[in-house]
Amino acid sequence: MTGATASLWPLVAVVAPLAGALLAALGPRLHPRLRDASLLTVVTATTVVAGLLVRGTAQGTSYETLVLQMTTRAWLQLRVDPAGAAYGLTVSALWLLALVYALGYLRDDARLARYLAFVMLCLSCTLGVAYAGDLLTLLIFFELLSVLSYVLIVHEQTPAALAAGTKYIVYVLIGGSLILGGVLVTFYLADTSVFVPTGFLHDGMPHAYLVTAFAAFVAGFGVKAALVPLHGWVPDAHPAAPPPFSALLSGVLVASGGFGLLRVLFGVFGVELLAALGVLPWLAAVSAVTIVLGAILAIRQPDLKRRLAYSTISQMGYLALALALATPATVAAGLVHLTHHAFLKATLFFCAGVWIHLLGARTVGELRGVAARTPVVAAAFTLAALGMMGTPPLSGFVSKWWIGTAVLDADAAWALVVVLLGALLAAAYLLPVVYTLYLGTGPYGTGSDGAGSDRTGSDDAPSARLRVPARLVVPTAISAALTIVFGLASQASGFPLALARRATDVLFGGG
Amino acid sequence: MDVVDARPILAPLVSFVCAALVFSAGHRAAWRRFWSFAAAAIKLGLVVSMLPGTLRGTVYVYELVEFTPGIGIAFRADAFGMFFALVSSTLWVLTTVYAIGYMRGDRDLVRFFGFFALCVSTTVGVAFAENLLTFFLFYEALTICTYPLVVHAETPEALRAGRIYLVYTLIGGGLALIGSVMTLNAAGTLTLAGTGVLSREMGGGTLAAIFVALVGGFGVKAAIMPLHGWLPIAMVAPTPVSALLHAVAVVKVGAFGVTRVIHNVFGVELLRELGYARPLAWLAGFTIVAASLIALRQDHLKRRLAYSTISQLSYIVLGAALLAPFAATAAVVHIAHQAFAKITMFFVAGAIQRRSGATHVSQLSGIGSVMPWSMAGFTVASLSFIGVPLFAGFITKWYLSLGALDAGAWWVVGVMIVSSLLNAAYWLPIVHRAYFRPLSDELEGVQEAPPMLLVPILICAAYVILLGLSGEVPGMPFSIARVAVEHAFGLPSVTP
Repeated sequence: MTGATASLWPLVAVVAPLAGALLAALGPRLHPRLRDASLLTVVTATTVVAGLLVRGTAQGTSYETLVLQMTTRAWLQLRVDPAGAAYGLTVSALWLLALVYALGYLRDDARLARYLAFVMLCLSCTLGVAYAGDLLTLLIFFELLSVLSYVLIVHEQTPAALAAGTKYIVYVLIGGSLILGGVLVTFYLADTSVFVPTGFLHDGMPHAYLVTAFAAFVAGFGVKAALVPLHGWVPDAHPAAPPPFSALLSGVLVASGGFGLLRVLFGVFGVELLAALGVLPWLAAVSAVTIVLGAILAIRQPDLKRRLAYSTISQMGYLALALALATPATVAAGLVHLTHHAFLKATLFFCAGVWIHLLGARTVGELRGVAARTPVVAAAFTLAALGMMGTPPLSGFVSKWWIGTAVLDADAAWALVVVLLGALLAAAYLLPVVYTLYLGTGPYGTGSDGAGSDRTGSDDAPSARLRVPARLVVPTAISAALTIVFGLASQASGFPLALARRATDVLFGGG
Repeated sequence: MDVVDARPILAPLVSFVCAALVFSAGHRAAWRRFWSFAAAAIKLGLVVSMLPGTLRGTVYVYELVEFTPGIGIAFRADAFGMFFALVSSTLWVLTTVYAIGYMRGDRDLVRFFGFFALCVSTTVGVAFAENLLTFFLFYEALTICTYPLVVHAETPEALRAGRIYLVYTLIGGGLALIGSVMTLNAAGTLTLAGTGVLSREMGGGTLAAIFVALVGGFGVKAAIMPLHGWLPIAMVAPTPVSALLHAVAVVKVGAFGVTRVIHNVFGVELLRELGYARPLAWLAGFTIVAASLIALRQDHLKRRLAYSTISQLSYIVLGAALLAPFAATAAVVHIAHQAFAKITMFFVAGAIQRRSGATHVSQLSGIGSVMPWSMAGFTVASLSFIGVPLFAGFITKWYLSLGALDAGAWWVVGVMIVSSLLNAAYWLPIVHRAYFRPLSDELEGVQEAPPMLLVPILICAAYVILLGLSGEVPGMPFSIARVAVEHAFGLPSVTP
C-alpha cells in the first residue's frame, strides 16, 4: 500500500457540482437544452472522478487534499479511503439518475431552477461527507447538507410540505448540535480530529467524556440515519419532497447518518475502545428495534411514499446493526447493503413518482391494476420490491446474505433473527403493493369502465397504456437493472462487495 | 516593543475634525457627504497602516498630557485595541454609505452626521486608551454623543428612550469612575498596558469592590442581565444609528471595557486566584439563554435584533470570564463576528422599513421574492448566529467551547448548543417566512433596496463568510485577536 497521496481529485469532485449549481442558478437565462446538457455533463464528470477515486483506492492509494486551515490545529481536509470512495461513487451515480429523472419530472415546474441549484449544492456537500478527512470537515459538510436539503424537501411549498420541512429542520439542527458537542469533546480530549484506522481516542482518557461524546455522536448521526426513536422526520419528509429528491433522501442522504456513524466508530473511537466502553450492545439494540419497528409501521401505511419511508427506516437499521456488531465481516456487509439499498429504494421512489406524475395516485389503494397501463414501471417496482425482500439472486439478497452470515460469525444469533424478521416484514409491506399493481381494478387501473377519475385527459381511455416520458423511465429502468447486476455479479472485482471488503481492511487498520 | 507614533491619536482626531467640518460646513449635502466619506476612509487607512506593525508585535504609543506621574491622557494601539479599532472603522465606512442612502430627506442631517462622526471618534479613543482615565473620558463622551442620535426623531417615545438610556449609562459610568479611583488608590497607576496592576496584597474587600464597580459599570453598556434594560428601548433610533452604535460601538465599548478589566486591570493570574470571574461567567451564560428566550417572543424585528444583541454580547463576556486562552480568543473575535452579522441584519431591517414600512416579523411574508438580495444577506447573518460551519459564528462557538472545556466549565458547551438552537428558533422562521410564504398583499410592488443600502448589506454578509473561512490567514481579524490573547496570557507567540 502506498501512503496518502496529495491530490486535487477529491476537491474536483466536491467543487464541480458547485459549478453546476451556478449554471442552474443562471437557469432562466440559459436555453433549457443547454442547461440540461451542461448539468448532466457536470454530474457525469463528477461520477467519473468518483469512479477514478474508487479505482485508485482499490489499488491501495489514498488521496488527500488540505483545502483550508480552519482553526489552529484543524484543516478542512479531504481524504479518500476505500469506504469513502465507495460511498462517493454510490452518491454520484444515484445523483446522475435522479438528475435525469428530475429534469423530466419537474420540467414544467416554476421552481425548477431553484431545485437544480440546491440539488447540485447538496451533491457537493454529500461528496464532502464521503471524502471528509477529519471530524471537523465531516461536521461542516454534514451540517451544510442538512440545512440545504430543507429547500428541496419543501420544494412544493404546500402546507404539508412546509410542515414536514419544519419538523425536519428541527430534528436535524438538534442532531447537528449534538454532533458538534461530540466533536468538541473529542477535539478537547485528543487535540486532533483526523480519522485514523482503529481510532485516535484511547482508553486512558476519562470515560465519562468518552461515553458522553459517543452518546452525542450516536444521537446526532442517529437523527439523520433514522434510528428509532429519532426517526420522526423521515415519514413526513419523504412524501412531502418531490420524488426525485425522495429517492436521493432515502437512497443516500439518510445513509449519510450511517456513514457518519461509521467514521465515528472506526475512525475516531476504534473497536477496542468501544469494547472497553461497552457501548456497542446499546447501539445494536437500538438498531434491532429500528429494523423491526420501522418494518411493522410500514405495513399499515396507505400512502406509498410514506410506506417506503418507513421501509428506509427499517433498512437503515441494518446498516446501523452491522456497524454495531463491529466485526470486519459485518461492517463490509453493511457497506454493501448501503449501496444495494440506495439503488433499490431509488427505483421504488422513481416508480412511485411516475404514478404520482401521470395518474396522481399516491395511495396503495389507488394503484390497483396500474401495471397494465405502465408495464415497464410496474416491472421495475416488482424487481426492486423483490430485491428489498431479499429474493435471490437480486442485490438485496446478497447484502442480506452477507449480513446474515457475518452476524453468525460474530456470535450474535439473536441478530440473525432480527435480520430474517426484517426481511419477512419487508415482504409484508411490499408484496401487497406488487399484488395491487397487477390484480384488481381501481380508479386509475384497467377495467374500471371509465370511472372518470383519470387525470391524464378525458380522451384517454383508462385502460390505455400510458406513455411514460423517457426521462422518467430510463433512470428507473437503469436503477432496477442494477438490482440484477449487483445480485448476479456480486463477487466480481470492482463491485460493492469487493470494494466493501477492501474498505473494511483499511478501517480495521490492515492492508 | 513600544514605538512612539502619532497615529493612535490621529485616528480618533480624524473623525473629530470631520465632526467639526460637518457642523460648520455641513449644510450643503455634498460637503457633508464628502467630509464623512473622506474621514471614514482616512481613518481606516490610518488604522490599517498600523496593522503590519501590530502583527509583528509592535505597539504604537502616544502620550498627550501627563497631569501627575502615572496619570494623564495617553494612547496605545496594542493588538486588542487595534482589533476593536479596525472593526469599528471598517464598519464606519460601510455605515456612512448606508446612512447617506437611508437618511436622505430626513430632518437635522447636520446634527445627525456631526454626532455620528463624534461617536466613531470616541469609540476609537476607547480602543486606543492607554489608561483607565483616558478610557473613562472617551467612554463618557460616547454616552453624551449618542444621546442626540437616539432621540433624533424627537418623538415622545424617542425622548423617553433617550432619558432611560442616559440614566442607565451615566449610572454605569459613575460606577466605572468609582472603580477607577479605587484602582488608582490601590495600585497607584491606571495603565492598561500590562497584564494587571492589582495584586492580592491589596485585600479581598477592596479587590471585590473594584471588580464589582468596574465590571458593573462597563457591564451596563455590555448589557449583561440585569443591566440590559436600556438596550431594547433605545432601538427607537434611526436604523443606521441602531446598527453602528447599538450593535457595534456602544455595546462593544462595554464588552471591550469588561475584557480590559479582566485582562489588563486585574490580570488573568490574579482573577484565577480570586475566583471572581466564575460568577461573571454564570451571569453571562444566563444572559445568553435568557435574552434568546425573550427574543423568541418579539414580533418587532428591531426588538428581536436587540435581544439577540444582548445574548451575543454575553458570548464576549463569557469568553473573557472563562480565563482560558481559547475562550479569550473567541471573546475577542466575536467582537468582529457579532458586529458584521448584526449590522447586516440591521441594514436589512432598515432597508425593509424604508421600502415597505414593515417593522414586524409577521409582516414579512414573501418579502424574499421582492427583496431577494437583502434577504440573502439576512440569511447569511442568521446562519452565522446559529453557528453553521463556514460562517463566522461557528469559529466563536468552536473556540469558546474548547476554551471552556480547558477551563473545566463543561456546562458552557451546553449553553452554546442551547443558544445555537434558540438562534435557529428565532432567525429561521424569518428566513422561512420571507422565502417560502406567498407574498402578502401589503408588500405587493415593493422593490429591492437601492444600491446605497444594498451594497453595504452584501459587503457585510460577504465578510461574515470571509471571517468564517479566514481564521488562519495572517492579517485577518483572527490573527490580531491571537496576538492580543497571547499578550494577556503571557503566552509565547505562535505568529511567525
